[in-house]
Amino acid sequence: MVEKARRSLVESDERGNPTPQWEVFVRAEAADPMRHVGSVAAASATEAHEHASRLFGWDAADVWLCPAEAVERYSTRGLATDTEDEESRVSEGADGKPEVQDA
Amino acid sequence: MISISKLLCDLDAEGDGLRYDAAEGSKKPQITEKKQRRPVVVWNTTRRCNLYCSHCYAGADLDPASGEFTTAEGKAFLDQLADYGAPVVLFSGGEPLVRDDLVELVSYAADQGLRPVLSSNGTLITREKAAALRDAGLQYAGISVDGLPERNDRFRGEEGAFDAAVRGIENCLEVGLKTGLRYTITEANAPDLEGVVDLLAEKGLDRFCFYHLDYGGRGAEIVDADLSPQEKREAVRRVADMTLEYHDRGEEIETLLVGNYADAAFLVEYAREEFGEAKAQAVYDYLERNGGDPTGERIADVDYQGNVHLTQFWQGYSLGNVRDRPFGEIWEDESNPLLEALRNREEHLKGKCADCQYQSICRGASRLRALAATGDLFEPDPQCYLTDDEVFGTEAGSMVGGAAD
Repeated sequence: MVEKARRSLVESDERGNPTPQWEVFVRAEAADPMRHVGSVAAASATEAHEHASRLFGWDAADVWLCPAEAVERYSTRGLATDTEDEESRVSEGADGKPEVQDA
Repeated sequence: MISISKLLCDLDAEGDGLRYDAAEGSKKPQITEKKQRRPVVVWNTTRRCNLYCSHCYAGADLDPASGEFTTAEGKAFLDQLADYGAPVVLFSGGEPLVRDDLVELVSYAADQGLRPVLSSNGTLITREKAAALRDAGLQYAGISVDGLPERNDRFRGEEGAFDAAVRGIENCLEVGLKTGLRYTITEANAPDLEGVVDLLAEKGLDRFCFYHLDYGGRGAEIVDADLSPQEKREAVRRVADMTLEYHDRGEEIETLLVGNYADAAFLVEYAREEFGEAKAQAVYDYLERNGGDPTGERIADVDYQGNVHLTQFWQGYSLGNVRDRPFGEIWEDESNPLLEALRNREEHLKGKCADCQYQSICRGASRLRALAATGDLFEPDPQCYLTDDEVFGTEAGSMVGGAAD
């Protein structure tokens, strides 16, 4: 019997806030495998393609771009904790805005 | 980072081993005995900030972003850094002090053997908070002041920000925290440089970090506000002159240049002019051990959502996300062609950078500025202010045939 890897779902809500994030996949030469090479921040797929092309060369055979938040991720590693519903701890002033404080 | 005070004034500092493989000769206790092999990691703990600075590389905002780390996730991330052997974690933002778990996270980092340091606008650092951070193990607080009151407050988008930052500095110093001032030069605040240096001496600060503007975050929108390369050269000369002056007066302020490795070449030339060939050679040797621009090598950044960046200024591209894969795995994965190219950039540099005699101590300076200005990752940095004689070594006394060989 094959032992299955214990992957868990990675939270990825609104990745790239405020600028949309695009996962970039590049095939450098026609016979190469498609490779994930990170992500770029861009307002549109066209802009993301230009951005990725500047970083990974205009001569790559294929470039694919995927909205980062559309990627469902399952990982055996990462930051999984047993308190995932905990809120980020940013304090707020009475009006919701941290103020410049006197010493 | 290039330490003028180390190179020109022989001031020892805790970072000598980290920066110059010079731990053995330093009188200060060292952060590390060996030259840095792992990156200093800047962690943007939140996007939220109480100020709205026109040059913010992180695009910080008055509102928090979604997906920021919880306390537990923050600790799991610090575990990743400790497992990988990162020497230093720099708590940054946004403004890190708006996180109410900052003291807890600093303490956790210290317990894991990381050296926790802070980058802040200073305005929220009360004396009590400074003492709590010190007790948690914070080793250094760097506070941004970008000019005297009028210009600083305009830059930072908040009246009273200068006075509040100075109070933050005083609070840190009063509780015995090592404290530095960070000043990013632009056309708008260049006239305040001398005034900022006076403030350093008056308050008894430990460190002065002079930053060049990099073209990331909101900084990219104010490229036009950057000084011309010639003006930049003059500003760096003024910083070098002032460093010599205040060290002569006995004010031992550690003084660092950040963000433009043309400064490395300039300092060799400056040392030759002021002190002669032997000093120029010594400065060159230190800088060669320092290794030039650290992008993608000795500096890394992880943003508030876990995206890993090549430097804190390069927010538009991410190598991967620590929620998907541990930091060390992402940083070591040279199957990424961009990371591999940057780590072997000597093979790719174009134009004058390809033939520059100072290539090994500069390594093309900011690739991000080159990309922003030309669209080509390996064209020369538009902020290189070296003369052709300095670049190509055509003047008598050049390093060609000497240390550069």
